[in-house]
Amino acid sequence: MEDLKTEVRGQVLAVKDLPTLPTVLEEVTRLVEDPESSTEQIAKAIARDQVLSAKVLKMVNSPIYGFPGRIGSIQHALVLLGFNVIRGIIISTSVFDMMERAMTGLWEHSLGCATAAGIIARRAGFEEPEEFTVAGLLHDLGKVVTAVQLPDLHEVIARTVREQDILYYEAEKKVLGFGHDRINAWLGSHWNLPGNVREAMSRHHKPETADLYPEVTAAVHIADFVVRLFEYGSGGDDQVSYLSPRTVNMLGLHMADLERVMDEFAEMMVDVSDFRY
Amino acid sequence: MQKIPTELATPGMRLAKSVLRENGMTIMAEGMELTQPLIDRLLAMDVDRIVVRGNPVDLGEGPGGADDRLGRMDHLFRGFADDPYMMKVKAFVSRHFRMAAAAREAAQKAAEQAAANKAPQAVAAASPKAGEGAKTSGRDAAGFVGEGK
Repeated sequence: MEDLKTEVRGQVLAVKDLPTLPTVLEEVTRLVEDPESSTEQIAKAIARDQVLSAKVLKMVNSPIYGFPGRIGSIQHALVLLGFNVIRGIIISTSVFDMMERAMTGLWEHSLGCATAAGIIARRAGFEEPEEFTVAGLLHDLGKVVTAVQLPDLHEVIARTVREQDILYYEAEKKVLGFGHDRINAWLGSHWNLPGNVREAMSRHHKPETADLYPEVTAAVHIADFVVRLFEYGSGGDDQVSYLSPRTVNMLGLHMADLERVMDEFAEMMVDVSDFRY
Repeated sequence: MQKIPTELATPGMRLAKSVLRENGMTIMAEGMELTQPLIDRLLAMDVDRIVVRGNPVDLGEGPGGADDRLGRMDHLFRGFADDPYMMKVKAFVSRHFRMAAAAREAAQKAAEQAAANKAPQAVAAASPKAGEGAKTSGRDAAGFVGEGK
């Protein structure tokens, strides 16, 4: 059994043809690291890819981010949201098609988690709730990778969920020997994602173990529970996830705050529900 | 509440959210009851989605939707039956959904009551028949943003 797990792990990690990110992202990342470059230069580099810019603007103007006015340019979006958020959005545009094809309902689940994470961050009073939103948007990317690169094993996982009536995450561990959180960690470093997004992606099922960015991780953990509670989309099964009691306290929230989060979520999802790139 | 394609709207449905223009201006206010002329006007304005009260249209969306949560709790928490803490969480959210449902019901009753009280005038205002189109549309325009929150 141990051999099989090692083999599967090797298979996942050997995957070469992961979704390719737009080439513009590389150039933009380089510009960001160069202290000499200006926001204007970065914005110009993104704006050169018109399809991508249109998608980014569509997302930042969606109710998910909830800005009152209209954000008309990439430069404006960069100033308002910061590069990390824009980068997360660019990645989500690149995997969107794949996500839609790979697992029914996963896109909706991700959007819902993004929305809930943003609501939680605002309620807890964090200054950059958009970073939480992006972490929510990308929290289940590892599931897409399994579904696309290892379709046979994905089928076994899905069957295990049905037959044993367990969570997708538990089924992953039974079949693969590890969960999508592990794949997320690997993807996060492969794509050089910001630390807070990476930690939320790789530890949202074990938020107590997040040392560096416990807040973002806790928010995504709670958001995952909320979106499942409303059965908005599907993360591969139809149960709620475990809600760690410490995460709510850790964010300085009370259960009463969770109720407000639920109300706000129900209200917002009606607007968010048909968002497509 | 439910978001539906405007084509599927029927007279008698009530808006659960205001219909806004892209610049944020309110076209029709939350709580308004739809009539055929109003629906036609929305379609003419290229408003392709509206949010109405209740869950009137079967869009094949499965068990989602905020309004029927309470009935899904046993199903959703079935994996945690042996976990006393998660059972507490279940009781907590169930109570929340029960209260939300009660509040929704009360609001609906209040709205119906208000509509019933207004009914005599509404009948008088709605009586113009064919040939008095201008008068009808004047009333519609006033009603557009009339019923505030």
